Amino acid sequence: MSITIDDVKKLAKLSRLEFSEEETAEFVKELTATLEQVDAINKVDVSNVDLLESTVDADTQLRKDEIKPSLTAEEIVANAPDSQDGAFLVPITVAEE
Amino acid sequence: MSYLDYSLTEVLALLNQGKVTSEQLVNECFERIEETKDLNALNSTYYDEAIKRAREIDSARKQGDKLGILAGVPIVLKDNINYVGTKTTCASKFLENFVSPYTATCAQKLHDAGAVVIGKANMDEFAMGSSNENSAFGAVKNPVDPTRVPGGSSGGSACTVAAKQCFASLGTDTGGSIREPSSFCGVVGIKPTYGRVSRYGVVAFASSLDQVGAITRTVEDNALMLNVLAGRDEMDMTSADIEVPDYTANLNKGVKGLKIGVAKQFYSDELCDDVKNSLNKVLEWYKSEGAELVEIDLPSLDTALAVYYILSSAEAASNLARFDGVKYGRRAEEYSDVVDLYFKSRTQGFGKEVKRRIMLGNYVLSSGYYDAFYRKAKRVQKVIRNEFVSAFEKCDVLISPTTATPAFKLGEKSNDHVAMYLSDIFTVPVNIAGVPSLSVPCGTSSEGLPIGMQIIGKHFDEATLYQVANAYELAHKEGQ
Repeated sequence: MSITIDDVKKLAKLSRLEFSEEETAEFVKELTATLEQVDAINKVDVSNVDLLESTVDADTQLRKDEIKPSLTAEEIVANAPDSQDGAFLVPITVAEE
Repeated sequence: MSYLDYSLTEVLALLNQGKVTSEQLVNECFERIEETKDLNALNSTYYDEAIKRAREIDSARKQGDKLGILAGVPIVLKDNINYVGTKTTCASKFLENFVSPYTATCAQKLHDAGAVVIGKANMDEFAMGSSNENSAFGAVKNPVDPTRVPGGSSGGSACTVAAKQCFASLGTDTGGSIREPSSFCGVVGIKPTYGRVSRYGVVAFASSLDQVGAITRTVEDNALMLNVLAGRDEMDMTSADIEVPDYTANLNKGVKGLKIGVAKQFYSDELCDDVKNSLNKVLEWYKSEGAELVEIDLPSLDTALAVYYILSSAEAASNLARFDGVKYGRRAEEYSDVVDLYFKSRTQGFGKEVKRRIMLGNYVLSSGYYDAFYRKAKRVQKVIRNEFVSAFEKCDVLISPTTATPAFKLGEKSNDHVAMYLSDIFTVPVNIAGVPSLSVPCGTSSEGLPIGMQIIGKHFDEATLYQVANAYELAHKEGQ
């Protein structure tokens, strides 16, 4: 399976990452090599595998839906690059009329 | 002899006997950190806070107050574990200034047991790497030979323990990130069963594989650490509600009658001679102690690395989608609109390896490829897991090399990501199967570099791993 420049450009867009032409070309090679490597999974017969059966030994337990103390808005936005009045500040996302 | 030459267990006894204070230990650790700062093992340290806490513990001990089982012992956390009020950077430019607003359960448990957190360890960015060369804050050096890598991604955690900057550390292991560096640095590291230790508050890489574990200088120390760390946490739905035994209970019991599995797939041609010879000696020794060696077949083992790169990258791409330059971390200085803000912040904030995994992850999850890669890999994962479960019907533990070679040179594989990925070939299958595994030093190479063996056990049977490792360690202490 080989990867094209357009594939890499599409992936970069999905990933919200920007690459130079040079990096894009490098990714074409790298991803092609990696995909050849991961092709090993096709050696295994999986026709009898039931994916719905859990791989976790213990039963998943749900906790009670109780109100407990949690972080304040101020504590949360303390790490935000930009904030105002306990809210995250972002550029305008909806066009002004 | 410095107090730093003692193990965690030994120094606890000295603390309890009043022969040393926690304050003295913290001071000695900081002196050692200063002397060995070129190793670049730590991203941050907290001297003032650590001394304050050590004094509190010392005075509580003097008054005869009831103390936790790790009271007064200096420890280090990997820099992807939140500890309130401290920086948690994941060794990424993206989180360079992130300050934890809360504490991870594993760190809280150590704190509650009286451990004194003195700093955070360097690592590969977002735990992606096998050499600790992917840190935004520079590579970590191997304390045994500073021209070599300490392994990764918990390279700083292994280095800080091996260099005696602290008595134990926490690492995380998604595909070998505790065991490979432990092996390279000559220390003891456990990847517990998936679900044994809570990951609440630990920055996620691949959530279906990540586990937290301890790195220590002895097997007994490691068992003690897991006693503190293990158990159900209602903040992590994947943590198992399975009783936590006393992991030190099986120490000093020997290995007579135990069945040790040897799978030929772990003893491939890739092994260097020194590693092969060390492992042969290990197996002979166990046999001479009354253990039975059992031949095991794990036919799909060689596909585990492929499964790992599909699953871990897919999960990483999803987990790292939250880093958008809005909620926390770095925001690009210049951007045209909100979407451009995402693009620019992520492009400037993430390092090369992280971008590589995000790209691969989004590829295997993208429309048209999801079934061929992600779902297929999940199915193969199940096959591998079943092979391990069947193996453990015939043996109590499996023993393999942790890595095919000792620590490699800095820069040797940094431009060849495929060669780098192969460093984890023996550790990755353990995460894929969800079983526990302990890396223990088992000799040195002709160049004097540490060699590690990996003892793999049944789900939730860490106690037997410690039993098997402890027997070997006791018989092979320095000078014996």
